Amino acid sequence: MTRRSRSCAALAVAAAVSALVGSGCAADSDAPATGGDGGGAVTEIVVAAASDLRPAFEELGAMFSAETGMTTTFSFGSSGQLREQIINGAPFDVFASANVAFVEEVIEAGRGVASTQADYAIGRIVLWTPPGIDAARSIDEVAHTRFRRIAIANPQHAPYGTAAVEALESAGIYPAVRSRLVYGENISDAFRIARSANADVGIVALSLAIAAGGEYHVIPDHLHEPLRQALVVTSTGARGDAAEAFADFVSSPTGRAVMIRYGFALPGEAQPGS
Amino acid sequence: MQDMNDWFPLWLSLRVATTATAIAATVGIALGYLLAKGRFRGRGLLEAIVTVPIVLPPTVLGYYLLTTLGANSPVGRAWEALFGGPLVFTPTAAVIAASISALPFVVRTGRAAIEDVDARLEAALRVAGHREWRIAVLVTLPVARRGLLAGVALGFARALGDFGATVMVAGNIPGRTQTLPIAVYDSVQAGDYSAARTGSMILAAVAIVVLLSVTTLSSRRP
Repeated sequence: MTRRSRSCAALAVAAAVSALVGSGCAADSDAPATGGDGGGAVTEIVVAAASDLRPAFEELGAMFSAETGMTTTFSFGSSGQLREQIINGAPFDVFASANVAFVEEVIEAGRGVASTQADYAIGRIVLWTPPGIDAARSIDEVAHTRFRRIAIANPQHAPYGTAAVEALESAGIYPAVRSRLVYGENISDAFRIARSANADVGIVALSLAIAAGGEYHVIPDHLHEPLRQALVVTSTGARGDAAEAFADFVSSPTGRAVMIRYGFALPGEAQPGS
Repeated sequence: MQDMNDWFPLWLSLRVATTATAIAATVGIALGYLLAKGRFRGRGLLEAIVTVPIVLPPTVLGYYLLTTLGANSPVGRAWEALFGGPLVFTPTAAVIAASISALPFVVRTGRAAIEDVDARLEAALRVAGHREWRIAVLVTLPVARRGLLAGVALGFARALGDFGATVMVAGNIPGRTQTLPIAVYDSVQAGDYSAARTGSMILAAVAIVVLLSVTTLSSRRP
């Protein structure tokens, strides 16, 4: 009887595996079904982007699509998580990180085209205080006990979180506020915590604060290592060419104008005063 | 483009959950039968391994799946050689994550239902000279069908709702691997609470319908 039931189970497993393979092929074949002309032309690129870029890149993506007819799809997350996904084979065409180190790691792992690595922006952090709370105007004020919870991005894998910790350390208040820190998965998650008033202050990306509004104060950039945001093309062939076109677009005059509007400083240009 | 993609997460979720449930039902009922009837060494261990996704944090399950199926793993390489693309970060990876999450619900509920079947019914057919697989098909499984269905329904709900394991092996790629639970997460991150509300309501409604039908299935005796 055991042998019977066991062969029954084996049969079931075989059936399941074939169902999976079947579904996989079907699912893959119609997966990137955006854009219309088909025929091998690249109609869509997928960009893995640090979550501080969400407002700026969504705008840039729409402009790029209008110009080229290519759809741009974004997968936003913390740069560290996106790096892991790319190293594990995620099908992204561009990786726009919030720092340089993760881009270099992706290239070292053989998943990025080294010649396409480029700095595209320098990020800034701000103190964002929800309405109804006496705002933190400078980083030292964060030590005040009226800020019971302080939202930052997880410094383990989010560059904006690392910069927040560095700023708190430079101000000499990190030990004092350490137990009051709450981590977001990435910088938009940290901002979500502050915006929903689940933290009394957030150390978040200037780009997100500009997009959302509210009261914020820019943290002087000498308090943390520069957030040198770099990108790299992570696909090859025709997709790689399309990805490079997007990377160039980010650094084009049009792209730069959008990035400046969201508070990014641009590499090779004088820093706007803070 | 935005409008066209609005319903994609729901559509993808339904497709992934349905395929995953079909797989979990096939494998799970067979395993449930094996665990209920079989007497072999390592049965306890097999049951523990099959059941562990219920108690394991989904992220841990996701991590194991990512290291087992990732582009740098033997399975990942073999898949890429066969199908020309990586296995992870595809809808197929989402199906695998959802199947494994759903499986224990089918196995546990199914096993209990099979053990509840009156042994005298099965004994009678055995005396009449029927083979075990015929007894299973003719008596055991039909008699246990309500419990089996309840397990499959729970498995479907679990497959539809998976977030942790799916986001790790399939990622969060809109229009490709962004299932409804992941779309809810992404909407909250983007501060788009109205989209998050719609997605959450759909998922909550499905969960309640499933639980209601499970209650109905398990309260009425055959």
